[in-house]
Amino acid sequence: MTTAVKPVKAPNTPPLTIPRPHNVLIVGVGGQGVIMISKVLATLCQEQGFEVKQSEVHGMAKRGGAVFSHVRFGEIVHSPTIPEGEADVLLALEWAEGMRWMPYLRQQSGTFIADTQRIVPPFACRNRTRGARTGYVGETIQTVMEQVENSFALDAMGIAKQLGVVKAANTVLLGALSTALDFPTEAWKSVISKFVPPQTTKVNLLAFDAGREWALGFDRESELRNIKDTRSLHQESTVEAGADYSRVEITEEWCKGCDICVKFCPERCLIMNEKLIVEMAEPELCTGCRMCEWLCPDFAITVHTPNHVPL
Amino acid sequence: MLDQAKTPFEIRDYIRQQLFPHFMCPGCGHGIALRALLWAIHDLGIAKDDLAIVSGIGCSGRIGAYIDANTFHTTHGRPLAFATGLKLARPDLHVIVITGDGDCLAIGGNHLIHACRRNLDITCLMLNNEIYGMTGGQVSPTTSSDRYTTTTPEGNYEPVFDACKLAQGAGAGFVGREMTLQTPSLKKLIQQGIAHPGFSFLEVISDCTEIYGRKNDLGESAEMVLSQKADFRSASYGMIADEVFQPRNVKTGVLYKDDRPEYAQAYRQKIASRAKK
Amino acid sequence: MSSVQNIQGNHACALAAVAAGCRFYAGYPITPSSEIAERMSVELPAVNGIFVQMEDEIASMGAIIGASMGGAKTMTATSGPGFSLKQENLGYAAATEVPCVIINVMRGGPSTGMPTRPAQGDVMQARWGTHGDHPIIVLTPWSVQEIYQQTLRAFDLSEALRVPVVVLIDEVIGHLVESVDLAKMNTGNPVERKWADSSQEDFQPYAHTEDLVPPMPRPGDGYRTHTTGLTHAENGFPTQDPEVANRVISRLLQKLEHHNDLVECVNQSDCKDAEIVIVAYGITARAAQSAKQQLQGEGVKVGIFRPITLWPFPQQTFSEAIANARLVLVPEMNAGQLIVEIERYRNDSTRIIGLNRYDGEPISPQQIFNKVKEVLQDA
Repeated sequence: MTTAVKPVKAPNTPPLTIPRPHNVLIVGVGGQGVIMISKVLATLCQEQGFEVKQSEVHGMAKRGGAVFSHVRFGEIVHSPTIPEGEADVLLALEWAEGMRWMPYLRQQSGTFIADTQRIVPPFACRNRTRGARTGYVGETIQTVMEQVENSFALDAMGIAKQLGVVKAANTVLLGALSTALDFPTEAWKSVISKFVPPQTTKVNLLAFDAGREWALGFDRESELRNIKDTRSLHQESTVEAGADYSRVEITEEWCKGCDICVKFCPERCLIMNEKLIVEMAEPELCTGCRMCEWLCPDFAITVHTPNHVPL
Repeated sequence: MLDQAKTPFEIRDYIRQQLFPHFMCPGCGHGIALRALLWAIHDLGIAKDDLAIVSGIGCSGRIGAYIDANTFHTTHGRPLAFATGLKLARPDLHVIVITGDGDCLAIGGNHLIHACRRNLDITCLMLNNEIYGMTGGQVSPTTSSDRYTTTTPEGNYEPVFDACKLAQGAGAGFVGREMTLQTPSLKKLIQQGIAHPGFSFLEVISDCTEIYGRKNDLGESAEMVLSQKADFRSASYGMIADEVFQPRNVKTGVLYKDDRPEYAQAYRQKIASRAKK
Repeated sequence: MSSVQNIQGNHACALAAVAAGCRFYAGYPITPSSEIAERMSVELPAVNGIFVQMEDEIASMGAIIGASMGGAKTMTATSGPGFSLKQENLGYAAATEVPCVIINVMRGGPSTGMPTRPAQGDVMQARWGTHGDHPIIVLTPWSVQEIYQQTLRAFDLSEALRVPVVVLIDEVIGHLVESVDLAKMNTGNPVERKWADSSQEDFQPYAHTEDLVPPMPRPGDGYRTHTTGLTHAENGFPTQDPEVANRVISRLLQKLEHHNDLVECVNQSDCKDAEIVIVAYGITARAAQSAKQQLQGEGVKVGIFRPITLWPFPQQTFSEAIANARLVLVPEMNAGQLIVEIERYRNDSTRIIGLNRYDGEPISPQQIFNKVKEVLQDA
C-alpha cells in the first residue's frame, strides 16, 4: 500500500453534536504504541472540551502480547468501555488484532483503519510441531475491504520509512485517524508535538501529514481492483504434525543412559526404560526441536524432520 | 566462509562409526563439544581430507580419534607444538587442536601462551571440565574454589585460571568461550574461530559428571549441564552483567578479536623482503 | 672454482640437512649447538623451507614431528639438557614411526654441566633416554666432513625406515673448522619417504609389510588415519590386546635389525690381526688414530674399531673384529657408557678396559698410548 495520487472524497465523519459518546477502539500488540496513540487522542479530546474516558488493558502484554485501549468522548460519558458493535472507529496497529476486535465495530457507519503489519503472537504457535499451522487470522485485506465499507488498510511502517523514520509509523496512523474525527488539523499537531521528543517533532508532523494525506486520497474502489497484498498467514501445512512428522531415532547401543535428553526434553516425550536406555514414550508430543539430539553426548539420538533447517 | 552448508548436517558422516559407542563416561560434556565441532566443520564446508585434528593427553585428547579426519593424538600438553609444525609445513590443512584444562593450561601452558603470541592460523578448542578426569579426578588449574578432588581432600584452595584472559593477554587473535548447553551457539563460535585467520582460542565449558560431579555432589548429568547457565552469560550482556553475576563473573561468546598479522603470512613477507635485498 | 671450503662442524650439519631435503627446522637456543639453528634460519627460507624458533626444547621436538607428519623432512638440534627435555616426544616419534633428525652436540654433564666443554656423556641416553622399548638410530661422526655425510645419511635412514635418527656430535667437532669439499660429498640423491598410494579402503597405516616399514599416509591424500602414541594396532587405533600388542611392538623392534645392511656403518682398521682393539667414536677416535700410529711404530699390533652407527650397536661385526684380540680398550669422554654394551659381546679370552675422562677435556693420543703401554706391561 502506498500513498494514493489525489484526494477523491473525505471519509465518513460523524457529527460532533450528537449526545451519545463517540467511541474509538485502538488495538495492537505490546510495544507498538497503542497506549501512546490513545493518550494523544484523549488529550486532544479533552483540549477540545469533551469529557474523555480512556481505559486500557496492557498489563500482561509485554512485547507481542495483545493490547487494547478504549477512548470514549462526548458531552457526557458514563461508562469507560465500548460495548460490542458500538465502536465508531477501530484503529488496529496489527492486522490480526484488528480482525479479532471486528465485532466491536459499529455496523454500516463504523470506520476501520488498520496497519497491515503482521506480528504472529506466541499463542498463535501453540502447536509447536514443526510445520504446524499457526493460529493467525485468515482474513485478507481484500475480504475486509469488501465487507466493511469504511475500511482503510495502510502500510504505516512503509510510509514512515519513506520519510526516513520508521519509528514515526504511529504518527502516520494518527494522521489517518484524524480524517475519521472532526478535529482541526492544527489541534492534532499541537498535541502530537507535546508527546514526541522535541528533536523528532518535525518528522512526526510530516508523518502525520503523510498519513492524513494517504487517507484522504484513499480510493476504495480502485484499491480493491489493484490489490496486490493477498497475504494470509493462515497457511495450511502440507505435513501432518506429530510422530509421523518428527521421528526420533535412537541408537540403543550407543546410549549410556546419562538421562540428559529425558530431563531436557521440553515436551517430556522421552523416558528411561528398565535397561536405562532412552526410549520415545510420547511420539505425538515431539516438536522436533532437536534439544535431545544436540545434548546427547553419545550421538545416540537423531531427530528426523523432512525440512531440515540448519541453524 | 561462514555461509551455511547446503546439505543437512549428519554427524555420522564425520565420525568413525566403527569406534562407537565412544569411551567417554555417561553424560560427559566432551561428546556434546565434539558434536558442535563437527557441526561447525560441516557448516564451513571443510573437506574431511583437509582437516587435521591434533590432540593431547587426557579425556579431551581421546575424542579426536572419533573424528573421520587426519587425527593426531600427541603427547601430554604438546598438541599446540605439534600443530605449529604441522600447520607451518602444511598451510593447506585446517589444523584444529583439541585440548583440556590440564593439558592446555598446566603441562602445556608454555605452548599455549606462545601459540597465542605467534598467532599462527590454528584453532585451539580447550574443553574445560575443571578436572583431570582420565587420571581419576585430580585438581586442575581451573577447578573452582572449594571443590573436592582426589588431591584436594579439604576442597580446592588454589586460585583459578581464566584461560580466555590468559589467551587474550598472550596475544591470541580470536578468543571466545561457550558452554556445551548452548550447542548451536557453541557451534557458531567454533565456526567463527576456525574462519578467523590467526590463532583462535576457544574455551568450551564442559562437564565431568562421573568424577567431578559425584565428588562434589553437583547432581546428575542434566543438572550439571543446566547449571552452566547459572554461571555464565553472553559477552554481549556487557557491563551491567558484570555487577549482576558476581559469583564467577565469566562471560561467554566472542570475547576478543583482532586482525593482527597471521604468523605464516608475516614470515612469508619477511622472507620476500629479504629476497629483494 | 674449487668447492672446498673452510667450514665449522655445526654449519656443515645445517648445509647437509638442506642438501638432504630438510625443509623444516624447529629449535631452541642452546650451547654448543646454536650455530646450527642460526645457519638454518638463513638457509631454509632460501629453499622455501620453514625455520621456527620455538618456546622450548619440548615444543621444538613436537613441532618437527608435527611437520614431518605433514610430510616435511625435519630436524632439530640441541645439547644435553635440551636432549633430556626432548625425550618424551622422541619416544612418540619412534612409536608412531615419524621420521625426524635430532642433532645433539654433546657438552659436559650432568645437568647444566659444562656448556662449552666437550663430553660424550649422552651415549646411553641417546639409546635409552625415552621410556619403553623403542627403535632408534644414533650416528657419531668424527670430523666436519663426516658430520656432513652422516647428517645426509641421518635423513636417508630416517625417511627410509620411519625412525628418529640422532646424530651425536662432540662439542669439539661441532665447533671445529676444517676444509671440506661439500659438493663432492653431496650425493644429490636423497632418499624420499615411501608414501602410501594403495587403495584408501581398509588402509592399514601400520600394516605388517614385508620390509617391516609400512608406507606412510600423507594427510590430504584421503587416508584419514589416526596417529597415536598409545600402543596401536595395524589400523592405527589403540589396542590393549596382548596378542596384537606383541605383534606390533615386535615389528617395531625388528625393523632396524631387518635393515641392518642400511643401518650398520663401521670404520675399522687393522683389527683383523690386532692384539689390541681400540673401540672409539667421535673425537676420541681421532686421538685413538694418532695413538695407533705411534703404537704401530713400536711394533704393537693394534687396530681401531669405530662404530659410526653407534646404535643399534654392530654386535656381529664387532664380535668378528675382536676375535683375535687379547685386549679391547674403550676410551670415552664419560665414566664408561659404551663399554657396558661392549662387555656383553666379549669372548672369554678378551680383557676389556676403559679409559675415561669427564673433566671437560678431550682424551689425548698420549693418554691412549700410555694406557696401552701400561696394560701391556701389566700383562
